Amino acid sequence: MASIARSALLRQATAAPLTRQSVIAGSVRAAAFHTTSRRSLLPPLPQRVEGTVNDPAPVPEPSPSHGSYHWSFDRLVAASLIPLTITPFAAGSLNPTLDAVLCATLLIHSHTGFQNIIVDYIPKKRTPRARKIFTWGLNAATVVVGLALYEFETTDVGLTEAVKRVWTA
Amino acid sequence: MAALRSTRSRLLGSARPAFRLSAAAPVRGFAQLADAAQESATASGEPAKLKTFQIYRWNPDKPTEKPKMQNYTLDLNKTGPMVLDALIRIKNELDPTLTFRRSCREGICGSCAMNINGTNTLACLCRIPAEDSADLKIYPLPHTYVVKDLVPDLTQFYKQYKSIKPYLQRDTPSPDGKEYRQSKADRKKLDGLYECILCACCSTSCPSYWWNSEEYLGPAILLQSYRWLIDSRDERTAQRKDALNNSMSLYRCHTILNCTRTCPKGLNPGLAIAEIKKEMAFSA
Repeated sequence: MASIARSALLRQATAAPLTRQSVIAGSVRAAAFHTTSRRSLLPPLPQRVEGTVNDPAPVPEPSPSHGSYHWSFDRLVAASLIPLTITPFAAGSLNPTLDAVLCATLLIHSHTGFQNIIVDYIPKKRTPRARKIFTWGLNAATVVVGLALYEFETTDVGLTEAVKRVWTA
Repeated sequence: MAALRSTRSRLLGSARPAFRLSAAAPVRGFAQLADAAQESATASGEPAKLKTFQIYRWNPDKPTEKPKMQNYTLDLNKTGPMVLDALIRIKNELDPTLTFRRSCREGICGSCAMNINGTNTLACLCRIPAEDSADLKIYPLPHTYVVKDLVPDLTQFYKQYKSIKPYLQRDTPSPDGKEYRQSKADRKKLDGLYECILCACCSTSCPSYWWNSEEYLGPAILLQSYRWLIDSRDERTAQRKDALNNSMSLYRCHTILNCTRTCPKGLNPGLAIAEIKKEMAFSA
């Protein structure tokens, strides 16, 4: 008898009828302001365990060109940008070779930066097609920007001079 | 004794609990489950210190019902100082259906990891903030599959831990046939690494791990990777490094440092990951 009464109590306890009404009413009204949209971009998939729960997670093949070499190269490029941006202004003279090196380094720096964003947010496992599209889109954009910078350097004033003219502070 | 009691008092005695039960039923029907605070206040003389706990509830037996927050109000005078004490008291006295993991209640098992007031921490090491009157919000670890209420599914986390081979790997026997010895300096390198209890607070606070938990190992597992990489007794350092040398396993760490900020044991997974990156950059 006691157990029956207890289970009924529990059912009532978890049902939460009183607050629910007001909570739902409020949420519907505020739905337009919610930060998460109803149709989320990548809704969570049902959980899928690869192999059994006792198998270790698969270890990928080592590829330093995507791992340690890539990381070191990234840091080298980022670090070399600091002297490259300061030198032309500190020296006061314009050197077309230095300008070309700066442009190339900037291009590589932004390319690897965007690449990192794509690897982070467009998982290959889940969205292989989107990943391919974005990767090749980035490659195309890098080529276009490279060509544009080449044109700018050869037929116009060049990057450093342009910054100098725009920045009149 | 019972025979000495009059029929009337016996009737009253049996009637009172029955009446209280029926009176309590509608109160429990609300999401607000309250302590019998008024009674205790009059009994002990000191005013009740009421605190409301908002706790994430989801029942796998009713998968069509959405997860919801349920409120429980406790008198802090009758509750222990830690959040885990409050949870145990809620489970014992207010709602036995509340589900959470706990074991040691002293921060050494890592079972009671949960998100308390927006921070991943161990409920047993987290004090109930008594001064502020705001509700305490308790969620399961973020971005995990929830088994029930505050219980997250850590299958992937443990599978990843297994994948780094967290044990000593050696080919040469020790010279005198006894234990593998280590200099004091080498042993010192393991301080701040071996203390990790794998509560998954850091990994589940890492945005990179949220997005790529299938392939990125996450701070907790990388801290353990480093613990075996710098162990002077281990002889598979090169293989261990090779296993990390790809775009996903290690290099999805972008030094966000949520891991270091949240670690309930005060360890520094961010530093360990940086050390691995440094080692890999200069040696491989």
